[in-house]
Amino acid sequence: MSSTIAKLNAPLTQAFDPRLLNESPIVITPTPTYNTQDQRLADFETLSAALEYAAGGVAGFNFYDAKGNLRSILPYRALRQNAQISARRLMGMGLTSGNRVAIIADTTPEFVELFFACRYAGLVPFAMPVPVNLGSHAVYVQQLRGMLDAGQASAAIANVDYINFLSEAAEGSQELRWVGTPEQLGKFAVSDIALPVNTPEEIAYLQFTSGSTRIPRGVIITERALMSNLQGIVRHGLEIRAGDRCASWLPFYHDMGLVGMVMAPMVAQVSVDYLATRDFAIRPLQWLRLISRNRATVAFSQPFGLKLCTLRVRDSDLEDLDLSSWRAAGVGAEMIRPDTLRNFADKFGPAGFDARAFLPCYGLAESTLAVTFSQIGKGFQSIQVDAGTLVDKKIAVRLQVEGRKYSEFVNCGRPLPEHTVKVVDDGGQELSDLKVGSVLVQGSSIMTGYFNNPEDTEKTLQPGNWLDTGDLGFLFEGDLYVTGRRTDVIIVNGRNIRAQDIEELAELQPEVRTREASAFGITDSNDITTIVLVIECRLTSVADRQSLTNRLQRLVYMAFGVNCLVELVSPHTLPRTSSGKLSRFAARQGFIQRTQPTDQLSAESGEK
Amino acid sequence: MASDYTDVLQKLCHHLKQFCEPDAQITPQTDLIHQLAIDSVKLLNLVMEIEDEFDISVPLNALADVQTVQELANLIHRIKSAQ
Repeated sequence: MSSTIAKLNAPLTQAFDPRLLNESPIVITPTPTYNTQDQRLADFETLSAALEYAAGGVAGFNFYDAKGNLRSILPYRALRQNAQISARRLMGMGLTSGNRVAIIADTTPEFVELFFACRYAGLVPFAMPVPVNLGSHAVYVQQLRGMLDAGQASAAIANVDYINFLSEAAEGSQELRWVGTPEQLGKFAVSDIALPVNTPEEIAYLQFTSGSTRIPRGVIITERALMSNLQGIVRHGLEIRAGDRCASWLPFYHDMGLVGMVMAPMVAQVSVDYLATRDFAIRPLQWLRLISRNRATVAFSQPFGLKLCTLRVRDSDLEDLDLSSWRAAGVGAEMIRPDTLRNFADKFGPAGFDARAFLPCYGLAESTLAVTFSQIGKGFQSIQVDAGTLVDKKIAVRLQVEGRKYSEFVNCGRPLPEHTVKVVDDGGQELSDLKVGSVLVQGSSIMTGYFNNPEDTEKTLQPGNWLDTGDLGFLFEGDLYVTGRRTDVIIVNGRNIRAQDIEELAELQPEVRTREASAFGITDSNDITTIVLVIECRLTSVADRQSLTNRLQRLVYMAFGVNCLVELVSPHTLPRTSSGKLSRFAARQGFIQRTQPTDQLSAESGEK
Repeated sequence: MASDYTDVLQKLCHHLKQFCEPDAQITPQTDLIHQLAIDSVKLLNLVMEIEDEFDISVPLNALADVQTVQELANLIHRIKSAQ
């Protein structure tokens, strides 16, 4: 195998990408919206079978730059061809069926080609994130290393922008046999080994959940689970038809970006226009321009993305926008606040946005992507429930009298065919309508488990193959309403952050002992969530205390890209359970009492 | 060129002032994360302003190695010089 091991320290030929700057745009045309072949809606056994079919048409993927210029196109026909060539290179390298291949997932044609190349070669790809935070170099490398280890990757690929980080993360790895760029892979001979035929039983890919620094978990999704979910999405959820076109900025390392906006359009032979996540985040208007210009009909976002649009797009920008083609504005991946949707509709109504396009849905990587969809074309529905009864009794009572404090929840719709959702109490007993408890899902697109992690798999997949989603909610007339996360996850700016990860970061400091840190989120009435880190602290000098506080804030920022509030309290302040474990819920209550915020805390505090 | 760099630094400080308290002192050594509290949302705004002001594209991979005002100014200067 030694001949296939590439030099890890190959020099970086290009530090920056000047392509965006001076060149005049090359004249290429995007793949068409209307295809030349009969549309088949995900009735394939495997991803590669779906691509074989899509390659017979003219649809495909289109990549746009920060200025809205079309940079490259990847028709499904070319994707199939390039993926097969790369598959033969990977096989020629000596990788064997089921080996994992880690790929840093920038929004590029190369990533998509490599992903499908893995499938053609019978390999299991997994997408890794790109760095997003200031000063995050060390933390990012650690995050990559965690994924390479957890996924036991045999090969790892990153483009020239990220290869240095990847090489650093790969140092000392026992499992990795090859690390390189797509260009380096391109220098390998194309072997003439026959490509294997994929089967529904085999693993299609691993999906890593959240950007945690602690041991990341790779969700195992089989071809069968994937195709089941894709079928649900394109037929039942979106009712895809001729004339549909997608536009997406969602990262390819996120399940909504990868399953929802790469695979789902492909298995329905629909064209997609992509904008890199970074370019969207900096100039959200570009996404709306893409929709407007190319007459896209389907585009998904987290609520946070919609919020960015509402906040950052100027009124003068609206004149050039025509969003009337947008029939499915999917919203998911985090709690949906009705006001986020209302504000978006108010802002973009004048630009032709139809609020009936809102399509709230619910899902998670452990169920491939989607679990429930609301009814397409009907806009979003919500109900207002009494806030007091919700917190005290965990029951959603519809608001009868005006003037009472209320919480409003968005209807996330019904489960896809072959899926069931139930809500259970702490003892696992199924709850009736309007009672708040843990949301459990059963069905054909549930994961097989977490890769090489039987412990977490057992905790998450309960007897009868019920998946514990970690979310809280209630059912009402068959529809799911999500009310929040259990306390172990804090959602800030659309990102899931595990409380435990923050606590462990704190416990790495010499001044902080194990089980003396508690992290949780508090959400104010403006819907801003702040991470609070409470530390039991023995330091007495003001300077030492300040130094610890500053360091913790800095570490949390570098790891998660968010600011946090650090409170140092005297030992034995944090409440513990009878077994000595810290109770985040009680710690949070204690913090609220100490600080007595005037803002009413949101109903997201429906934890246990 | 040194004068270019000074110019970059001055313009950068001007933009940074909008993201922090009016009396905040900004020096080349100022830490963007801790002292100026540039969170991920502020960062997006800052990058947009920098890109517009200097007519450049700031790659995300480069930001991973930036913590101080000086490091950010150096990065901008490097990208501009590479044009």
